[in-house]
Order: sequence, then structure tokens, then C-alpha cells
Amino acid sequence: MSPDLADHTTSPWLAWGIGALLLVLVIGLGLAIGAVPIATRDIVDALRGIGDPSTIAIVRDLRAPRVLLAALVGAGLASSGGALQGTLRNPLAEPYLLGVSGGAAVGAVTAMAFGVVQPALVTACAFAGAAIATVVVTAIARVVGGSADTKLLLMAGVVVGAFANAAILVALADAPPERLRGALFWMMGSAADATWPAVARCAAALLLLGGVLVWRARDLDVLSLGDEPAAALGVDVDRVSRQLFLVASWLAAATVASAGLIGFVGLVVPNIVRALGARQHRPMLLMSALYGAVLLVAADLLARTVRAPADLPLGAVTALVGVPFFLLRLRRLAA
Amino acid sequence: MALLPCIGAVACSRSDTGTADQRDTASVVAVADTDDFGAPLPTDARFALRVVSLNPAATEAIFTIGADSLLVGRSRWDEYPKAVSRIAALGDGIRPNIEAVLAARPTLVVLYATAENRAAANALARAGVRTIALRVDHIAQFHRLLAVLGRALGAEANARIVSDSVQSTLDRVRALTASRPRPRVVWPAWESPLLVIGGGSYIDELLTIAGAENVFHDTDAPSPPVSIEEIATRDPDHVITGASRGAKLSANPSWHAIRAVREKRFIVQDPSLTGRPSVVLGMAAVQLARALHPELRDSLVRDSLP
Amino acid sequence: MSGATRAREQGSPLTFDHVSVRYAGRPTLALDHVSVLAEPGKMTAVVGPNGSGKSTLVRTLLRRVALESGRVTVGDMDVAALDAREVARRIAIVPQREEPVLPLRVEEFVALGRHARRSAFGGMSAEDHAAVESAVARAGIADAIGRRTDTLSGGEWQRVRIARALAQAAPVLVLDEPTTFLDIAHEMAVFELLDGLAQQGQTVLLVSHQLNLVARFAAHIVLLHRGTVAAAGDAAAVMRGEILERVYEWPLVVTRDPAVGAPALLPLRGSGRHRERPSS
Repeated sequence: MSPDLADHTTSPWLAWGIGALLLVLVIGLGLAIGAVPIATRDIVDALRGIGDPSTIAIVRDLRAPRVLLAALVGAGLASSGGALQGTLRNPLAEPYLLGVSGGAAVGAVTAMAFGVVQPALVTACAFAGAAIATVVVTAIARVVGGSADTKLLLMAGVVVGAFANAAILVALADAPPERLRGALFWMMGSAADATWPAVARCAAALLLLGGVLVWRARDLDVLSLGDEPAAALGVDVDRVSRQLFLVASWLAAATVASAGLIGFVGLVVPNIVRALGARQHRPMLLMSALYGAVLLVAADLLARTVRAPADLPLGAVTALVGVPFFLLRLRRLAA
Repeated sequence: MALLPCIGAVACSRSDTGTADQRDTASVVAVADTDDFGAPLPTDARFALRVVSLNPAATEAIFTIGADSLLVGRSRWDEYPKAVSRIAALGDGIRPNIEAVLAARPTLVVLYATAENRAAANALARAGVRTIALRVDHIAQFHRLLAVLGRALGAEANARIVSDSVQSTLDRVRALTASRPRPRVVWPAWESPLLVIGGGSYIDELLTIAGAENVFHDTDAPSPPVSIEEIATRDPDHVITGASRGAKLSANPSWHAIRAVREKRFIVQDPSLTGRPSVVLGMAAVQLARALHPELRDSLVRDSLP
Repeated sequence: MSGATRAREQGSPLTFDHVSVRYAGRPTLALDHVSVLAEPGKMTAVVGPNGSGKSTLVRTLLRRVALESGRVTVGDMDVAALDAREVARRIAIVPQREEPVLPLRVEEFVALGRHARRSAFGGMSAEDHAAVESAVARAGIADAIGRRTDTLSGGEWQRVRIARALAQAAPVLVLDEPTTFLDIAHEMAVFELLDGLAQQGQTVLLVSHQLNLVARFAAHIVLLHRGTVAAAGDAAAVMRGEILERVYEWPLVVTRDPAVGAPALLPLRGSGRHRERPSS
């Protein structure tokens, strides 16, 4: 293990161990539980391709990709949130603050309004919308202030987000009822349409973009001290801030493209992980990914079972779980 | 020589109903090869072992053509006919629960063809289940639904009988109302937002058959959103509503901008006949025609229908 | 090992050569052809009223503002030709303000001073550890080790930040108002520390409000007034009543304090003689 992790005095092994165990547990439950009761042994067989074709299809083509997608999206959102909190020096920063959610929704809704029907294409348009929105945010911050000042980034993000929301409402104002319903459902977040290609794309984005964040984690440690201290310690603040902001936002955009808007994970998980002792960004990002995966697989499980056969939107479940968690944390902070 | 202009005149006067004929005549039209999602349609009944229908129009049609013994599942929103209650409800028809559907081990699933169901169609296809995605917005699509289901479920003869029977009723009503003056009507379908029946709906076709003119016939959507002013500008002679809505509209001052509302010229229709495109289309046309043309009541006797 | 560390800290002079800075949209220059030379082995102090350009001088080193003209060199290298990491290896800066937003343990915080010398991966080398230990010892924060940065008092926080700068093991040390919020004992401790470092051969540049302490400790003082150098030299040359009154726009008296043998500044009660001037 790198010396970074050995710096913690609260046992890091405990936090990692518990996280890994929880992940295995929720993935197992996610495969085992669903609309149709399937015995555990049949599930294991189905994973290996043995047994009744319907059961195999249910386990391998429905539950497995869904559970894996939820894990990848949770990991992506949590690590994106952790990186953004460091870049913006704000433990309340969230991946959606900065145009990602608005841009993705505009991309998806516009695609649907133009009659794009294939889910994979809608996903691509959502990602494009989010990517463009984040670039616009950095461009605005640069043009207005001459630098990637974090306050400017935040304000530009709010502006772009507000504009995106207005655009979505205009686009949906005279939409036929089913397009409206479809757009709303997309925006509320769901892992229900997970396919293996979608899982592969999300995994690629997580490895690539998350990998960049983990690689630059030391820069994040320094950036989170402040613009002037970071410059004093040898970081090109404008350039690195902008890069990390874009990479973290694109990672969030990839998750939004895969599973719609799911809030709170990017906000809550990094704070929890820091409280568990992972203060430096490299261990914090990795542990956030782990716990983010756990959280979202569990949330997806709840979404499927609480009001079966209806599928609750994932965004709603994470909010319902995240809000009390967050209030508890705030109380402890204030104490 | 002098006859030619007469024949021409007769031909021309029939041609505008002729084009309408093309739209709802089914037996002449060959069944297309793909469903509304572009997937190939079954050419015979080889998949007709265990059928799940998540499309209310399709479910009712399956009962109508007598193939309901093949049904092992339906959506929970399928209400007609009453006998559907004995078929297991597997969840929603839009964004269905694939697990629940697969658990019924279907060989064929009929879906409602909306963009939100694309993912479901893909998921079922990946699981090796054949799907048919259809929607019925026009009367021609109803005939198509019957023909497709007839072929896919081995009930082609019955399907043709039902199709022909409905069409002959419609043709009869159309013929009876053809020479009558056409009252102009508006049909509000929803209040907030305000939606009316537009040119893209089978109900608009029924109105044409029943001898009325929908003031929103020129729109493409089945139920476009409009404003009250828009309706007032088009000045319909009658407002077509269900039983209770007429009173509600009269009581609402904003609706008084419309002359037909001020004069309380409401025509009441029965949603159980007009509310869905099904085998009762013929009866729906009769009901509307009787309400629009009281003088034809005797010719349009209800129990003369099959 | 400590010999090698000390060798690195043997000073390089830091030179501001006719530096001019203009903030965007302002008609007047924040710094107008300012030249300051900070030599190794002595403490150089930059003083002046609010708005005189003291912090701007530090910001040019942080490259947060662009030079309109002039250049800054450390040793014989133009700072503009160096990237941020190379600058951080040569100049350690303690900026004026810093808040611990994402708390760390003190030892982790001080270790961040080694950032410019570490690779993206790879742990702390023996040299890194030695630099951190030496910095902790010299800054006198050994008893803060293991505590979180958001639990420190104002004085401890200040000294922990200085320790981080010391861990950079750079030949030049620049501090912007390092004794704000410090009580007498801690303030003196900081000045003694900086004096000691200067004696050991490091280049120390200090921006400070504390004219009296500066007069006692700094070998070279530069007095800034509205972006220009009003006076430069040792304490005797700069700490003169007429110059200071003009610059600070306040009646004062400069005496010679026999206890410490340095000029001491006594501001007088104003009662109506104070005129409000807009800061540039």
C-alpha cells in the first residue's frame, strides 16, 4: 500500500474491508431479489448459463447488467463529487452544480424531441449535451474573469444550469404527453434499462476519466488548500483547476447519460469517506468509488422492491436516503 | 359526350369521400412486413403458444378474434372486455417490468408502440422473446391490428370477419350522413392542459364518418393542446363531451367565450364506445351520427349491428 | 543529510527589477517600476500603508497577476521562464490568508510542502521525511502533530503554514503578513525564527505591518507608497518621522528605543487631523 494510506490513524483497513464486504453483499442481494423469486442456487446456475432460459435471461440480461450499472454509476458519481469538492474547495459541491445535469437533460430531451428513439443514441446526445455545457461553463468563467477562478466557475455553472432548465421547459411545453412522460422519466434516473454495452461504456468512462482523477490526486490535495497556497506550492492553478473540473464533470456526464439524474451520491459519499479517515484525495477518491457503488446498488434494490412492481426513480430514492444522512452530518459538524 | 361531364361530376363528388375510404378500408391493404418499431412481423402462428399482451387495444382485439386462450398475461391497464380479469396482470404497459413478463414464459409479447417502450422491446428481444409493437391512432391501424394479430395467432378468418363487420357499419353510417349538412364540432379531451381531439385521431375519423366537421381537423396530432381563444375563433356549432363535463364547462366563465358553450349546445357521447379503438368502433359511429343527425335516428337503429 | 539540506537553502537573491503591475480596468498602476533586492543571509522587509502594493508584490511571485513591465529573478533565473513547480522549488511563499476547508492532519498538511518535488505517484522519500521533520522542529509545532488543521488556534495555524513553507526547502522564503492573529510571544517567536533562518544563509522576504518589529529584525527595509518605493535601506534610513508621516498620513513620532537599540514608531492621537483618502 502506498504511504498515503498509511498516514491514517483510524484503521484504513477497516473502512476498506467493510466497504468491500458491503459491495459483495449488495451485489449479491441485487442479483437475488427481483420481481420474480429465484432460488440462490438457480441464480448461480443462471450466471453460468445453466437452467431455464427465462431464468437465465432474467439473471444475466436483466439483473446483472442493472446491478453492475448501478455500481459503476455510483462509483463515478461519488468520485466525481469528491474531485469537484477538492477543486472547488467546497465540501458541499455536487457534480450537478456546474451545468452537467442541465446539459445532459437538454441533450436527451432535444434528441427525444427530434424523434431519436434508440436508447443508445439518446445516451450519446445526453453525454454530448453535458460535455458541451461544461466547456461553455469554463469558457464563460474565462471570458468574464480571465481565469478559471472557482467562484466564477460556480456562478457560470449556475447560469448555464438555469438556462438549460429553461430550454428544457420550452422544449417540453407543447410536447405530446408521451414525450413529456418519457423525458421526465429519463430525468428522474433509473438503472432499469441497463444493457451490457451500456455497462461497458460506463466502465470505460469510469476507468478512463476516474483514472485521470486518481492520477492527479496529489494536485487535488494541493488545490483544495486555496488558489494562493496552491500556486505557492507549485500548481498551475488555472490550468489544473480547469482540467480537473472538466474531467470530473465529464465523468458525471457519463453517469447521467447512462442512468439519468441521480443526486446526493456525489455530495454525500465523499463527506462520509472523509469522516472515515480518507482525507487525502487518492485514497478518498478510491474509497468514494467503493462506497458510492455500495450506496447506489442498495438504492436500486430499494427502488425495485419498495413499491413493486413499480420501479421508483433512482434519483428519488437517493434523495430520500441522502437527506436524513446529510442532516445528521450537519448536526455533527455544527456540534 | 354530354354524359362525360355528368360522370365526371359524380366521380368528383364521390372522390373526396373516396380518399377517406382508402384510409379505413383494410381488406384491400396488404399487411406490411414490419411492426411500428421496424421489427419483422411473424408471417404465421408459430409463436402463438404463450402470448402476453401489454397493449389494451391488442388485448381486446385478441378476445374479439377468439384467440384469448393463448393469453398468459396482460397489462394492468387492460379493461376490456370484462373477461380480461381472468388473465394475469403483469404490470404496466409502458416501461413494463421485464422480469415479470419473462416469468410468464411468453413466446410472443405485444407492446404498445411508444418511444418509451423501445428499451423493453430490445430487452425482450435479447431474452429471445418475439415482440410485436403496434399502436392504433387511426381506423386503418385498427384493421391492421386485427390482421396482424389474426395472422400471428392463427385466427385470420375471425380477424377478417370482425374487420369486415366493423367496416361495413362504418360504410353504412358514412353513406347515410354523406348528403346531410355537416355541423361543426369541437371535442375537448382534457382540461389542464387543454387538449382537443385533432386530425390525427381515430375519433376525428369517426366524426367525419358520422357526418360532422371537426374544427381542428386540420391539425396533425391526435390531441393537440389549444387555447380557449383558438376554439372561440373557430366557432364550432357544438361541443362534444361526456355526460358530466357539459355542466362543468357551462359553469366555467372562461369557456363562455365560445358561442356553443353560451348557447349550451352540447352533444353527449358515451366514452365506453368512443374512448378506445376497438370492435365497438361501428357502434361509436352510429351513436355519434344519431346525436349529430337526429333526423336519421330511425335509419340508424342500434340493434341492427352484428 | 542536514548539511545537504542547508546547502540547498544557501540563498539565492530575489530581485524585483522595475516591476510594474496594473490590475485589469484600473487607471493607475498597482506597482510602478518597483525594484526590490532581497539578499541571502538577511531579512528583507517590505512595509507600507494599505493599498501601497505590498501584497501585489507577493502576488507577482504567485503568478496571480501579470507584469506589465520589468522582471523578477531568483538567483539568475527569470521567474517568468519557470513553470509553477520550478518556482515552488526555489521560492517558498506563505500567502496572507488561508482557511482549512478540507481538514487534514498537521503532518499531512506540512508534507504538502514537498509537492513540487514529488512525482504523481510514489511515496515520501527519506529526504521528504527529513525536510518535514526539520520544518516541524524549526516552526515549533511538534506538539500539534496528530491534530486536525481545523482544531488549531490562530497562532498554531500560522506556524503550521510556515512549517509547510519550510518543508519546501527552498532557498528563498517569502511571507505575507505572517504574524496576523499572533500574540506577543508567538509573534516574537516567528520573527526570531525568521531571523535565525536568515542568519543561516536563507533569503527571507517579509511583508509586514509591524514597523517596530521590522525595525528591530530586518536588515533591509523597503517602504512602499502607492505603488512606488518611497524609501529603502536599513532601519535608520527608512524609519524617519518625515518620511513615515508623509507615507502613512498620520502624525507620529520616531524615537530610539534604548531597550532594543532600534527606532520605534509612536503614532500620535489624531483628533481631526486624519483625512480620509480613497485607496488606489
